[in-house]
Amino acid sequence: MTRIAELEPAPQPRMLRVLTALTALGFLATLYLGLFVAGTDIEQGEIQRIFYIHMPSFFGAFTAFGATVVGGLLYLARKNDAWDRIALAGVEVGLAFALINLLTGSIWARPIWNTWWTWDPRLTSAAVMCLIYAAYLMLRAGIDDLSRKRNFMSVYGIFAFVSVLTTLFIIRIVPETIHPVIVGASPQNAQGSFEATSGVVMALVPSLLLWLTLMPITLMWHRYRLETRKEASDRLMLQALSD
Amino acid sequence: MKPTRIALILLWLLLIGGGVGGSDHEAAVPYYRASGFNVPILEGWANQSGADFAQFALVEAQATIRTARVSAADGLAAAQSELSELLGLDIGQPVYSNKVNLADGTWQVLVFDIDDATTASVMSRRADSEHVVITFVERNPAARIVLLTTTQADDTLEDAAPEIATAVEAIAGITMNELSPAENITLPSGEWIVYASDIVTAMGMVFGNDSYMALREGEPGDFAALADAYNRTLLGFFITPDNSRYLALGLAAVFLILGTLVFSFGWRARSLRQGMELIEQLAREED
Repeated sequence: MTRIAELEPAPQPRMLRVLTALTALGFLATLYLGLFVAGTDIEQGEIQRIFYIHMPSFFGAFTAFGATVVGGLLYLARKNDAWDRIALAGVEVGLAFALINLLTGSIWARPIWNTWWTWDPRLTSAAVMCLIYAAYLMLRAGIDDLSRKRNFMSVYGIFAFVSVLTTLFIIRIVPETIHPVIVGASPQNAQGSFEATSGVVMALVPSLLLWLTLMPITLMWHRYRLETRKEASDRLMLQALSD
Repeated sequence: MKPTRIALILLWLLLIGGGVGGSDHEAAVPYYRASGFNVPILEGWANQSGADFAQFALVEAQATIRTARVSAADGLAAAQSELSELLGLDIGQPVYSNKVNLADGTWQVLVFDIDDATTASVMSRRADSEHVVITFVERNPAARIVLLTTTQADDTLEDAAPEIATAVEAIAGITMNELSPAENITLPSGEWIVYASDIVTAMGMVFGNDSYMALREGEPGDFAALADAYNRTLLGFFITPDNSRYLALGLAAVFLILGTLVFSFGWRARSLRQGMELIEQLAREED
């Protein structure tokens, strides 16, 4: 007889319910700030408002992919499956955020740069980063042996983070970028810069904090719980079939 | 060191590394915004702007610079309508009319001699279903000021001398030989070259492949300041683009990706429940 009770979804912890509510409210509040409170950029027009999601979504991906590194390192050190689940959750949530970053950037570029895409160093590194993490999910699905899968994906997740750091710092390393910078010496060829006025900062900072912390943590927690149940289901399914 | 402090330092380093945070940009030119267009605010001029137009006046020089969007059939009709609104007079035909291609479109350049004291220089171009009209009006009976923009005959030249020569001959009927040698002056709008005689003063500057000229018959007075203010308005004018459809597309992409992620969580949880029901069924059959 299989232990069916193991598959019963555990009630959501109170903390997760609170986080979920805060994330949803925070998302709506930061949207409101970006769309209705921050002023319209007189040079770029309404499309500049996408910046309040475009840039924070990258930092959200940074947090999630960072969790994958931590999960991978701790899994390799302690061989506790929970860390592997955290690493997986980080990749799935981080990839969604990275895609948001890439797509919103492309949509912004169309009216501002007059093109959907250009092989600029930062855009290219962001696209490569997305491909590397998409490959993580495909590779993971292709390895059957659980122990091998977890070990290999932990190492992969740690090294994949190099692409995140490259994307973050490439505008400092390769000055030929046209990607705008808001602080420090702007690249010589940067196009589409705008000034970080008090209105911009007021809309950006809450959005940045939300995407950097609440959004990845909440979504990863939900994904973690789902993976926990999936692994239990797989285990019991195998057990039922072997019985 | 407290974890909160470490986290804040890390956040700061991340933001600096990624190129975000405070600003070290130079202060932007203060713009007056009306009906979707923007013009530089002219310091020292009286700001008489309204919600639909930008208007600056230099009372002692009896000069006004006004920018507005006008519904009219063509550039000439838009200019006449705008001048009529500003001066409260019926406006006749221009004494000068030309077209010039600038970076933001084709502008019609018009000059009107309204009456003995009043001259108006107008730039007008189509903007969507309307026309943008930038008007310079001076009402000084002691002087006549004309402001013109034209494409350079020779774009390798860095000054507007050939265009000034043509304009001076056409408007004042004198040749360059009758003017004093060129003098260079620097104004906020750029580097100008100035020629003068007893009856006319001519100034010109080059921006891109176009010559911006100012001619004054009579005493020079505030001439340079007026020409500079008009050029700052012309060169600083821009229309805020309407790209709200791209913003809507971007938001749709955000909701689509986040929605797909959250929906996939629910969908996979549902699949797990179905798997659980199957296992239960197998277990019952086993019993």
